Amino acid sequence: MTLPAVVAFGALCHVATASAAQPASGIPDLTGAWVRVDETGSGSFDNLAAGFPQASLTPPYAERLERERKAGPRTGAWDPNKKYQNGEAYVVTAGTCGFPGGIEPNSAAFHIVQDRDQVVIVRENPGLGRNIYMDGRPHPDLRRFVPTATGHSVGRYEDGALVFETIGLTPGNVPAGGYRTPETVLVERYSLSPDGNRLTMRYTFTDPKIYTKPHTFEIVAERGLPRQLAFEWYCDAADPQQSQGVAPPKQE
Amino acid sequence: MAFAIKKLVRASLRAAGVATALSLALPAQAAAPGASFDPRNISGFWELPYDGRNIPQADLQPSITPAVIAAQAAKDANSRRWCYFIGMPMAMESPRPIDIRQSAHEVLVNFETRATPRHIYLDRKENMVLDDYDLTSTGDSVGHWEGNTFVVTTVGIDGNKGLTLLPGGGFRTTDSKLTERYRLANNGNALIVTFTWEDPKVFKTPHTYAYRYTRAPKFYEVQTPLDCDPLDKERVEFFTNPPSAK
Repeated sequence: MTLPAVVAFGALCHVATASAAQPASGIPDLTGAWVRVDETGSGSFDNLAAGFPQASLTPPYAERLERERKAGPRTGAWDPNKKYQNGEAYVVTAGTCGFPGGIEPNSAAFHIVQDRDQVVIVRENPGLGRNIYMDGRPHPDLRRFVPTATGHSVGRYEDGALVFETIGLTPGNVPAGGYRTPETVLVERYSLSPDGNRLTMRYTFTDPKIYTKPHTFEIVAERGLPRQLAFEWYCDAADPQQSQGVAPPKQE
Repeated sequence: MAFAIKKLVRASLRAAGVATALSLALPAQAAAPGASFDPRNISGFWELPYDGRNIPQADLQPSITPAVIAAQAAKDANSRRWCYFIGMPMAMESPRPIDIRQSAHEVLVNFETRATPRHIYLDRKENMVLDDYDLTSTGDSVGHWEGNTFVVTTVGIDGNKGLTLLPGGGFRTTDSKLTERYRLANNGNALIVTFTWEDPKVFKTPHTYAYRYTRAPKFYEVQTPLDCDPLDKERVEFFTNPPSAK
């Protein structure tokens, strides 16, 4: 056995003792804690998505969302697309401490775990985890799928990025003036910076009944500290104060 | 010489890449009877069947009287009433399959019920010192492999959060320590987990019981979660009032 072969065999043995789920060459190592950073946001606390490219809606949806915007949030809950006035109160939670879910990360850290068959994304605050199936399965027939806040996702690795497609989302607002339904197709592309510490998440919503062109925006997250713990955002539904409205800070 | 070293490194990396790619190309689900499986890969969806529990009676301290247990049960009832996160260990008894995902840095256990995910860290050997840790319903868990057994120790489970009564008797407190041992069986189609609780204030001797999970079908898909609405009056009345024979 030549020296290179010996070293190669050693490396082979070393890898064999590592986790079977360890990402292979060309697969980005996304596992770990991530924190959203909004360095190109709106410049205020009004609406983090204000600086994103605004959705280009079809006339029926433009009219519908305008009507809803004028009517205000149905429950008084925080509306990500509304520009709040100084001192204007909004409800932080609906009071049930339920699973708000959601696609885009919010201010809480989120954690990604990759294995061969699935990529899982969980938040530190209540919300549905995202299960991204990597085993080649197709999407289900939407007639037999109960929509959820995170839908049904299937993914693959492409040019060093995680690319996944989601359908089956519950109807609701999308950042930067968009909207979604179960038929809306969302494609996300997660790309790592060369040093592995910065994650760019590109979201593209496509739905001909809603958008005149695909609605795309990006959110960036930074990798958490080494050995960063996952906190638990504990919500006490028995505490009457947790569902009270609060006034956002004065904005200069 | 430098060229030779570079060539050596390239050869090593190629071999490493091949090895990893091979490991990734292994079949995801357990093999058919008689075929091989990776005894150190517990990733998958796991169901707890009706015959999946082996629970001896706990050996409780004399101070753990029926009145103490009743008081603890009342706390648990309040947690259930307000839909608090279930926490450990009852989250592991989910009526839905639990999702275990094993990466190089951590093992994640996720649930389709009112429970927060468990993060079992592989990159440190010791649990957090409790003075430096914000207690949670699932605690701080670290894991390592002993042969083909995945050993997990957990501390820092908040004694005031979630469901605290333990299978076999007794309850957990903030000072309890849990050791779990995970081992694949039946050609990778079963996952046996032993749970050992140590808490001298509650147990005379460590309390050990075991669950035997079975692997869910290959293309199992996560369902709409079993949520819990604390403001649903009908739901609250259901379990706060004694059942009527009418």
